[in-house]
Amino acid sequence: MALVAGFLGEAKGRLLPASIPFRFFGAAVVFQAMAWLAVVIGARQIGSFAGGLGWPLAALHAVTLGMLTMTALGASLQLLPVATRQPLASRRAPAWLWALYTPGVAVMVLAMGLGQPRWLALGAATVVLALAGYALLLARNLLGARGMPVVVAHGWAALASLGVMLASASSLVASYLGHGFLARPAAVALHVSFSAYGFMGLLVLGFSFILVPMFALAEAPAERPSLASAALAVGALLLATLAACGFAPGRLRPAAVALGGAALLLHIALMQGVLKRGLRRRLGRPLLLLRVGWAGLVASLAVALALALGAGFERATTLFGVLLVGGLLSFLLGMLARIVPFLASMHAPTGRRGPPLPSALTAEGPLAVHFWCHLVALALLVAAVLVDSAWLARAAGTAGLVGAVAFARFFAVACRVMRPRAATAGAGKAAGLN
Amino acid sequence: MTAPAGQPWREADALHIDVRGMTPPGPLVAILRLVDSLAEPVPVIVHHDRHPQLLFPELAERGWVAEVVAGDPGEVRLRLTRTA
Repeated sequence: MALVAGFLGEAKGRLLPASIPFRFFGAAVVFQAMAWLAVVIGARQIGSFAGGLGWPLAALHAVTLGMLTMTALGASLQLLPVATRQPLASRRAPAWLWALYTPGVAVMVLAMGLGQPRWLALGAATVVLALAGYALLLARNLLGARGMPVVVAHGWAALASLGVMLASASSLVASYLGHGFLARPAAVALHVSFSAYGFMGLLVLGFSFILVPMFALAEAPAERPSLASAALAVGALLLATLAACGFAPGRLRPAAVALGGAALLLHIALMQGVLKRGLRRRLGRPLLLLRVGWAGLVASLAVALALALGAGFERATTLFGVLLVGGLLSFLLGMLARIVPFLASMHAPTGRRGPPLPSALTAEGPLAVHFWCHLVALALLVAAVLVDSAWLARAAGTAGLVGAVAFARFFAVACRVMRPRAATAGAGKAAGLN
Repeated sequence: MTAPAGQPWREADALHIDVRGMTPPGPLVAILRLVDSLAEPVPVIVHHDRHPQLLFPELAERGWVAEVVAGDPGEVRLRLTRTA
């Protein structure tokens, strides 16, 4: 048994210390609560939201930057070195990134909510700096990648999208101070496409090729259709860029949405095949959240197509945003519900009977509360937008907040199990990832 | 004696499976599929090209443990045994 413990200890030493991914996940948990709180505060403006500073924009960015990107950073820093067999260029860099990114996002969100353009610029500058640093880490890792071409292809596309996202975001923030360097409609179109579908979407789709097979215990999908899905998504983003720059937007925008839809449907079909072939059939509520996420993304593209064809209806733009961000949020929450106990088990102290089982690290009660509150919150938010009701928006925010607190409880349970090891993980850096 | 990647073969000491060169999570799936298929608690020797960090929690859930044993240069060789 000592041999086993020693070996497992060595294997664990090859992982990043638990404190790195979990500080990102922990911040994401807090920002989820912050986002729903912002929905409660800004309930009156939710239904008619069409951009501009205020609590709806704050809620949107608490989700996209605070929850989605934060989770994607933590997961990618943990998974990429394993997937690409490349250690991170620096083990200190992720901690610095977090220390820069987290307060930057908090300042941005509060500045958006309170309508403070100068504070917004300060927060945005910090966030851009942190994400540029992340881009360097990601690029260096992808450059030396061995194997997993599907994940690597999605990674490169996400990285390029991150560049467009940062440029368009910088222009939009600068425009509040009168210094925007891109036309605002073009900047908004690029920002929405490349932030949600490009950067976050492609990271989510790419890591799905590792995580969904791992959860279902099945071989990854065949490479050719997987790469075809990535190529379709990249094609969609290129068409969206041309449309945003004014090249035949009437024809290219619907074509971009159609290509994006084809990419997504192919991806979902591949993942359905994985789930069907998997050794593990009962994936529970996390799988339902993944499916809600896929449905939200498909629905967002359907609304985007209606808008692109000029068949939009009142508040369709707001509905599009809710479906898109709600879809991504549901997907990542499903992923976190699976990955947190798994990582906690790998990082937990090895007792005399070996490591604790992942199933023993899952707080089912809080997860169930979160699941139902999250679904109710999303449904109420969609209804609030459709009928432009502040009461429904406030109820959505309250349900979401209760769910976020329950999710924080689930996260705290996993963290508590790892606590004794956190000190030794930090001390055992010499083991490295190699 | 060996077999194609992911296919088990039997030797006097144990069942063997070579998962080197397989794309993740192929090795994980092949090992767990083999472990799940065993009616008798036969030891399993895994020939791997990396430390399979994601495997151990899955083995623990099934009542199996892993220990590292001597292998060829560049190989990570594991001996899996059932404890429950």
